[in-house]
Amino acid sequence: MDGKPSNSPNSFIDQMVVPGDVVLDLSSMANQTIKLGGGLRQESDAISVMKAGKLKFSRPNKYWVESSQKRYVPCVEDTVLGIVVDSKAEVGSLLYVRVVKASAGMNPELSCTDASGKAAEFGLLKDGYMFETSTGLSRMLLSSPTCPVLEGLGKKLSFEIAVGLNGRVWVNAGSPSTVILVANAIMNSESLSNTKQKIMVEKLLQKFQ
Amino acid sequence: MEIDRPDGRTRNQLRPLACSRNILNRAHGSARWSQGDTIVLAAVYGPKTGTRKNENPEKASIEVIWKPRTGQVGKAEKEYEMILKRTLQSICVLTINQNTTTTVILQVVNDDGSLLPCAINAACAALVDAGIPVRHLAVAICCAMAGSGSVILDPTKLEEQQKMEAFSYLVFHNSVLSMLPEGSLHVDGEPMEHGIITSVTHGVISVDDYLYCLERGHAASAKISDFLRRSLQSHAPSDPSKAA
Repeated sequence: MDGKPSNSPNSFIDQMVVPGDVVLDLSSMANQTIKLGGGLRQESDAISVMKAGKLKFSRPNKYWVESSQKRYVPCVEDTVLGIVVDSKAEVGSLLYVRVVKASAGMNPELSCTDASGKAAEFGLLKDGYMFETSTGLSRMLLSSPTCPVLEGLGKKLSFEIAVGLNGRVWVNAGSPSTVILVANAIMNSESLSNTKQKIMVEKLLQKFQ
Repeated sequence: MEIDRPDGRTRNQLRPLACSRNILNRAHGSARWSQGDTIVLAAVYGPKTGTRKNENPEKASIEVIWKPRTGQVGKAEKEYEMILKRTLQSICVLTINQNTTTTVILQVVNDDGSLLPCAINAACAALVDAGIPVRHLAVAICCAMAGSGSVILDPTKLEEQQKMEAFSYLVFHNSVLSMLPEGSLHVDGEPMEHGIITSVTHGVISVDDYLYCLERGHAASAKISDFLRRSLQSHAPSDPSKAA
């Protein structure tokens, strides 16, 4: 029940918010166009939060809540990892694909080529190991600059990974112990800040090398 | 006059709260909420396409399944399911995922009094863990009348059986942080947050006593609300957060 006295949106940006929090007061922002992304909803003059997460703002006028879930909602132009379940290709094989069409209620349409038609590393992923995490961790692994976990691991080990925005990550390396090391490091890094990730990776590498 | 409660609490003191989220592998969202020794595990699956026959396909529907610790499902469980379903329907934004069903399953791990409020809190945390859009959170508390007009909060099973003449389960809004100036979310001169989402009473209570219960319950709900906020904000969903 603490109302923040200041009306500037800076008080909530990059802060963790909880459903019900009112993050913007439109009556003080007349004549501005605001774009609302996921997790926010308009109730007459107030913009309130629907999902727990971090409030983000991108200039000039976009607001959204970044949250991490286990369940993935398909979105056009996302790259995801899928497992074949039906006849055309080999059932059970892992594919790195791109979402072409997605709408509620329908199965999304996927493609093994990028927008211009080239193969560009899409397609079948052989060997390696796939595990599932949350959507938030996938976004963090794909963020630029490279997240500290991957950077730290990449300095000492050689491996390849494919990250799907649906929460699936595929790792392949020369030896099974490297694969397990990389997979465990990534799974442990979900809740850690940047510095803690670096420390965690260093400790893991020290133990096993 | 302070009543001596068997576990040494004061009248308005709650038991230690603990909440862990994301504990089940297959559920889209899960939470385990405990108040003292009362523990409830909630799992959320969904939204899945399609609604049941009696439900309105223009809205998302919520299905609640209550699993007691032992024994078969009977009338009491059905009543709990109905209360939970109505409470959760009022906090979820039903116009977003139209024609879908979200299933909430509650498993009673241990019942040491104040079971339904514990379940409501667990269900709410699990819904947030699953990313189901909700308007605001629900915070539930049990207020018991222990004879001679005194109200105790969060009774244990022993207190429920021995001392109480009547009790009420109250569900309030969570306390929100707001950008709005004070007074804009008021309806009829009262802040929105003083509104009740659900109230279930057993036994005979006078009107004054009931209003006093509401007041005490509302004050305690602010504490539970703070705890819920802290536990939802922690980045490590599988680490338990605790508060005494």
